[in-house]
Amino acid sequence: MTAVRTVVARLAPLLACLGLLAVWQCASFALNNDSFPTALEAIRAIPAILGDKEALINILASLRRMAIGFGVAVTLSIPLGLLMGRSRAVASFFNPLLMVIYPVPKAALMPIIMLWLGVGDLAKMLVIFLGVSLPVIYHSFEGAKAVEEKMLWSGAAMGLSAAQRLIRIVLPAALPEILTGCRTGLVLALITMVTSEMIARQSGAGNILFNALDMGEYDIVFAMIIIIGAMGICLDAAFERMRKRLVRWSEPQFDIPLSFS
Amino acid sequence: MNARDSIQDVLLGLVPIALLVALWQVLISFGYAPVTLLPPPGHVFARLMQQLLTSNFQEEIAATLFRLFAGFAIAVVLGVGIGLAAAASPPVNAVVRPIVRVLAPLPKVALYPALLLLLGFGHESKITLVAADALFPILLSTYYGASTVEQKLIWSAMAAGTPARQVLFKVVLPAAAPSILTGCRIGLVISCIVVFLAEMITSTDGLGHVLVTAARTFQAVDMFVPLITISLLGLILNGLLEALRSYLLRGFPEV
Repeated sequence: MTAVRTVVARLAPLLACLGLLAVWQCASFALNNDSFPTALEAIRAIPAILGDKEALINILASLRRMAIGFGVAVTLSIPLGLLMGRSRAVASFFNPLLMVIYPVPKAALMPIIMLWLGVGDLAKMLVIFLGVSLPVIYHSFEGAKAVEEKMLWSGAAMGLSAAQRLIRIVLPAALPEILTGCRTGLVLALITMVTSEMIARQSGAGNILFNALDMGEYDIVFAMIIIIGAMGICLDAAFERMRKRLVRWSEPQFDIPLSFS
Repeated sequence: MNARDSIQDVLLGLVPIALLVALWQVLISFGYAPVTLLPPPGHVFARLMQQLLTSNFQEEIAATLFRLFAGFAIAVVLGVGIGLAAAASPPVNAVVRPIVRVLAPLPKVALYPALLLLLGFGHESKITLVAADALFPILLSTYYGASTVEQKLIWSAMAAGTPARQVLFKVVLPAAAPSILTGCRIGLVISCIVVFLAEMITSTDGLGHVLVTAARTFQAVDMFVPLITISLLGLILNGLLEALRSYLLRGFPEV
C-alpha cells in the first residue's frame, strides 16, 4: 500500500502535466479558434524548433546569459544579505533602497539600460542580475536575522572572529532560507530572461516566442510556451534535488517556490 | 527600540538613496553621461511633477491601477479560497498540490502570448496575467498558514460546540491571517511588476505603454517618469497593506 502511494506521489506532477494538456486539448476543440492550436499540434511543432540549429543556438545563448546573471547575483547577494541580517546599521542602510527598487519591474529597465550598453548580452545579463538579487538578498537577510544568538555567543566564546562567525555559523544556519531565495531567484531569472529578450528582440528564446506571435505562427508560439515552461519546471526540479541534499537536516518551509517576476 | 533609534534608522536609510541621486547628478555634471541618455535628476522629477498634474497621465495611472487591483483581487479570492480548501480537505489537496507544483515554477510571462490570442488585447488578458502571477504566493502562504494552525485551537472550538464548517472561518482563517497577509504582500509587489510588463508588451494605455512610447522616440526623461511612478505606487500600496495588516492583526503578539 505504501509502495503504491509513493509511486502515485512521485507520478502526481506528471499526471498533473498530462491533465493540464488534456484540458488544453479539450478547450481548443471547444473554442475551435484558429489562433488557439490544440495541445497535440503545439507538441508536434516542438521538434521543428529544437531541430533548427539557429533556434537551438538562440535558446542556449539565453540559458548562458541566465546562468551568468544568476551566478553573479547569487555570489554578491548572499554576503550582503547575511551582513544585513547580522548588523542593524547595514540593514537600515540598505532596506529603504531595496524597498524602493522592489516594485520596479527589472525588465522595464531594459529600454534605459539598452541606451547605455546596447542590445547585447551585457544589458540582458545586468537585468537578470538585478532581478535575481532582490529575493536572494531578502531571504539571506531573513535567514541571518533568525540565527540563534546563543550559537553566536558560543562561537565568540570559543574565539571565533566576527568574519569566522559569519562564515561558519551564520552561513550554514541561514542556508535553508538562502536556498529558498535562490530557488525563487532561479524562476525569476528565467522570467526576466524571457522578458528582456522580448524587449530587445535580437536573439534568444523570448525572441523566438514573440516573433512567432507577430508573424501569426501560433503553433510555434504555443510550442515555445511549452519549451520555456519545461525549462522552468526542469531547472526548478534540479535545484530542488540539490537543495534537499545540501540541507537534508532541515525541514523545507516551502516545497514550492514563490515566483516573482 | 525607542523612537530616537527608529528616526536614526530612517535617516540612515535615506543615505544610499541620496547617494544614488547624487551619483546620478555627478555623472552628468562631470560630463560622463550625455544628457540625452541620462537626464539630470532635477529635470526628471520636475517632469514627473508636471506629468502627475496632467489628466492624460492620470488616466494612464488609473488604467494601470484598475488592472492591478482587478488581478490582485482575483488572486486573493482564488488563492485564499483554494489554499484553505487544500489545507482543510485531503482530497482537494491531492488534486491541487501536483497542479500547483507544475504551474508555480512556470514563467507566467511566457503564457502572455497565449492569453493575448485567447482573450484579446484589452483588459482581460492583462488582468488574467496579473492574477496568475500573484495567485501562487498567496495560495501557498494561505495553505502553509492554514495547515500549521495549532490543533488544540480547533479541538477547543469544536469542544465548545462550533460546527465543523464554522471552524474554518472562525478559527483557521484568523489563525492563518499573518501568513496570508505575508503572501498578499508578495503578491502585491508581483502585481505591480507584472501589470507594468504586460502593458509594455502590448497595450494602448497604462504606465508600461508610456515607457515603451518614450523608448521608441528616445525621450530619456519620459522613460524615467513611469518607472519612478510605479516605484512610488508600489511603496504607497505596500504602506496601505502594512496599515491594513497592523489593523487586522492588532490582537496578535509581535507582528
